[in-house]
Amino acid sequence: MLQFFRETVRYRELIWALALKDLRVRYKRSALGFFWALLHPLLMMVILTIVFSTVMRFNIDNYAVFLVVALLPWTFFSQSLSYSAESIVSNGELLKKLYIAKSVFPVSAVLANFINFVLSLIPLLLLLVVMRFPLHWTWIYLPVPTIGLIAFTLGFCFFCSAANVFFRDVAHIIQIVLSAWFYFSPIIYSLDFIPERFYIFFRLNPLVYILNGFRMAIYHGGLPTIQSAAMSLGCGFICFAIGYAIFRKYEDSFVYYL
Amino acid sequence: MSQIRFENVHQRFRVIRERPDTLREVFVRIFQHQKNYHLFEALKGISFSIENGEVLGIIGRNGSGKSTTLKIIAGVYRPTAGKVTVNGRVAALIELGAGFHGDLTGRENIVINGLILGLTRRQIKECEERIIEFAELGDFIDTPVKQYSSGMFMRLGFSIATEVDPDILLIDEILAVGDEAFQEKCHQRIQEFLKRGKTIVFVSHSMESVKQLCTRAILLNEGNLVADGTPDEVYTKYGEILEPSLGKKLEVLC
Repeated sequence: MLQFFRETVRYRELIWALALKDLRVRYKRSALGFFWALLHPLLMMVILTIVFSTVMRFNIDNYAVFLVVALLPWTFFSQSLSYSAESIVSNGELLKKLYIAKSVFPVSAVLANFINFVLSLIPLLLLLVVMRFPLHWTWIYLPVPTIGLIAFTLGFCFFCSAANVFFRDVAHIIQIVLSAWFYFSPIIYSLDFIPERFYIFFRLNPLVYILNGFRMAIYHGGLPTIQSAAMSLGCGFICFAIGYAIFRKYEDSFVYYL
Repeated sequence: MSQIRFENVHQRFRVIRERPDTLREVFVRIFQHQKNYHLFEALKGISFSIENGEVLGIIGRNGSGKSTTLKIIAGVYRPTAGKVTVNGRVAALIELGAGFHGDLTGRENIVINGLILGLTRRQIKECEERIIEFAELGDFIDTPVKQYSSGMFMRLGFSIATEVDPDILLIDEILAVGDEAFQEKCHQRIQEFLKRGKTIVFVSHSMESVKQLCTRAILLNEGNLVADGTPDEVYTKYGEILEPSLGKKLEVLC
């Protein structure tokens, strides 16, 4: 844990430069450039809103807002995972030739997506203004689920980037797991839609607490229960601790498998 | 205090016969209790130390553990057993331009490469112009490096690695960078390093360049350190290992 902060502080400039590089490469040679970071969530929102409020007719007020407050954190999580799973393997040539703290790569992938996430709050705010949706005071609660989300994401990214070095299947499995996870999390629907006997199943999903925090604070204008808040932080940190411990245990042998 | 110190260093590799790239293959293997690798000992307990300002040549036949030794000094491998101490910043001229990203310009790559080598942003700003000038890239510096010729690529790599002012410079094989004029510049730069009392570790097959540059040499054979001394002494020994008769010829040639 301490080691993580020491390495991250020591390599902060490199992590930042690599994250910006990721973003720059992602948007390079596209006419709209960085605008894609704003456009992508908006377009996703339009598509899903059309499908679920007009075609499927979910009975939820302001469905676009309801959806997007959970969709944005989800996108951060899933994109970070897809990017960082490959991060060690794709920098293999470099790691075979020079010494660099290996945690730099997954961390910078998460940072790049976090920058994207922060940028995507701009279309969210625009949406709220356009829809004349009230800005609740409960926004001040947002740091709690955000910290939980970052810790949770980092933990998973550490685990997957390490696992992918030894089994290249991991990167493919993640895509499947992510799409299942998307539908089994209350993103496009609300927890109320779920028959009670499946509740236990949803309680085991740490993202439920984190996404619920975002939705409560922005959409409902309320605060989640203390338990829910504690769960979103607790799950985040447990996941981080496990993922990072695994990463550290195996990082010295990465180079033999690259 | 010596700058680099190896104490009884072993390095073992798993040589994989058939790479289990998929989970299915792994499961099959686990259930059948098959070992798909054998251990190869690249270094079998070598000890030596390099003092500040020394220029050490590592010689030996192919597969004797020279490059492994360099990579351990660079921190790429953590030795299987034994102790390695390295004091100071290491720059490796092992494969130039290893960290370059094709879509970024030369200038952007200088920043990232410099940070990877352990400089701060401010230090990079300070030596950026010198790097560009030394690499003779001119206007190409703001072009994505994927459009560089391989010579330009190597020149930029060399110029970054040597401009970051390392305490220890690792050089693998002869530097065949650029045209003759540029090679001359490279040699001058290495001479500068020598004058400033930096430590250099040099791996080469070329007897001539080892004799020219090095103050000391070690000879590795099949993972063992078999000789340590002046380049002349070590080359005599090398000749004996290669082939007793050839050793005589080498002596005559020297």
